[in-house]
Amino acid sequence: MPSPETEPALALAGVSHSYRSRGGTVAALGPLDLEIAAGEFVTVVGPSGCGKSTLLRLVAGFAAPSSGSITASGTPVTGPDPARGYVFQQHRLFPWLTVAGNVGFGLRGLPKAERKARVTELLELTGLGDVGRARPYELSGGMQQRAAIARALAPGPALLLMDEPFAALDAFTRERMQEEVRELWRRAGTTVVFITHSVDEAVYLGTRVLALSGRPGRVVFDRASGLPYEEQPRGGQSFAALREELTEVVRLAASAA
Amino acid sequence: MSTITAPSENTTGEQAPARSGAPSLWRSLALRAGAVVALVAIWQAVAMARVWPPVFVPEPAAVWEQFLRTTGEGVSGYTLQEHLLVSLRRILLGCLYGVTGGVVLGLLIGMVPTLRALLGPLVTFVRTLPPLAYLSLLVIWFGIDEEPKIWLLLLAALPPVAVATADAVRGVHEDYLNAARSLGARGHELPLRVVLPSALPEIVTGVRVAVGVAYTTVVAAETVNGVPGIGGMVRDAQRYNQTDVVVLGILVIGLSGLLIDFLLQTLDRRLVPWRGRT
Ligand SMILES: Nc1ncnc2c1ncn2[C@@H]1O[C@H](COP(=O)(O)OP(=O)(O)O)[C@@H](O)[C@H]1O
Ligand SMILES: [Mg+2]
Repeated sequence: MPSPETEPALALAGVSHSYRSRGGTVAALGPLDLEIAAGEFVTVVGPSGCGKSTLLRLVAGFAAPSSGSITASGTPVTGPDPARGYVFQQHRLFPWLTVAGNVGFGLRGLPKAERKARVTELLELTGLGDVGRARPYELSGGMQQRAAIARALAPGPALLLMDEPFAALDAFTRERMQEEVRELWRRAGTTVVFITHSVDEAVYLGTRVLALSGRPGRVVFDRASGLPYEEQPRGGQSFAALREELTEVVRLAASAA
Repeated sequence: MSTITAPSENTTGEQAPARSGAPSLWRSLALRAGAVVALVAIWQAVAMARVWPPVFVPEPAAVWEQFLRTTGEGVSGYTLQEHLLVSLRRILLGCLYGVTGGVVLGLLIGMVPTLRALLGPLVTFVRTLPPLAYLSLLVIWFGIDEEPKIWLLLLAALPPVAVATADAVRGVHEDYLNAARSLGARGHELPLRVVLPSALPEIVTGVRVAVGVAYTTVVAAETVNGVPGIGGMVRDAQRYNQTDVVVLGILVIGLSGLLIDFLLQTLDRRLVPWRGRT
């Protein structure tokens, strides 16, 4: 029996998924074999419709794969679990709760005072210290996505799943948020799987960069990268090189689809 | 009303939507008052033209006199206030039971496919019936006192709420459920913590429709042994050709209905401040 520390944070074995639709079944993803170690920041790029969201939903346990198995830290994934936090592309904050109420949603088990302290801490951490009492729709897009991240972090997940979380943001906000997420990850050490359609974002954030082929998505590129550990990743030669290489891979994947 | 301090990123042009405040409230009040004044003016003009005799179209002044008389010495044995209060109590009780039953039934129909197949058609069937169609049956079952009237209003108020709730429940975005479950919510907690609140906008709209239906139904409910009650009062007045009292009764029902709807709209803003903003 391997101990939990040596177990990968996430392991996919022969995972594929297809959707039933009017014209029969559509193969959306895989087959896919993948192991992710604890502490990795894995970014996933791929052409639109190649199954990136499908992959993340399966890992989250929102749906069961058509075939194959998924285990997180040695435990089979059978459904959603607070050990795996999820950040949606559209923030999906609960509109009937305040920002603080959203962040506290996953802390029901805690005593009230402890819960309040934890919510305050998370709001501070994500730069939302003074908008806890606001409603989600009163926030800007960037703040909404920060609140969604705070909400997902609240139960202390071992794995954070993010599906194009910054796709709807303007360029300035987006860069800021990338910087903040990198900071968060460096401090908290949570394992992250981060979907994006931006090659630049993938290279900037990923300690491991994956690219998927066109539908059904398979891994066609898998590269470890030290860039996120550097102070100014964007400046250097290796950033430009990896970015160029990945751009070419995605272009090929997209045209082959 | 809380104002949000703009973070620096807002300088890039992102703006949180502003909340509409109290002025629109007064504006809508003024508009309502204006409409009432205009209607009374037209009414006065028609009555003064004497196209029809006063027994058909009484003057506003005659109705006003009846208002003073019925609020003082009363009519059909009760004052106007007493008639109104009894009617309002029936509407309140009928709606209370109807809305509660409608929300519960809607939740069940929306979430349990078997119950949807069983109860869905029944609710639709009752909804299409005019309440008067089953009043006689209710009288046979429950007699002629309060019971059949409350039941009638309940049956009138329940279907709109049930249908609105069921539709809203089925329309709950699955990512709200996914988000809640990945935040540790258990299956049995979802109806109260996610499904119901996310369906709240439609439910509140359903409640407004239900109260409206109950209002239009109460007069019918009070045609059988309806005194005290506005409907009973109107029916008595009709027997003795007291057109001014009939008109007075109609006005009281209409105006109190407007007031209640206004209160419900206020409640809506309080309960569902996110309406149209997600
Ligand atoms: N619920 C669904 N039912 C049917 N087909 C779906 C569903 N969700 C996704 N698909 C299809 O599966 C493929 C992959 O979708 P998705 O994972 O959302 O791609 P991506 O996130 O990479 O853009 C697409 O072709 C999409 O049309
Ligand atoms: Mg997607």
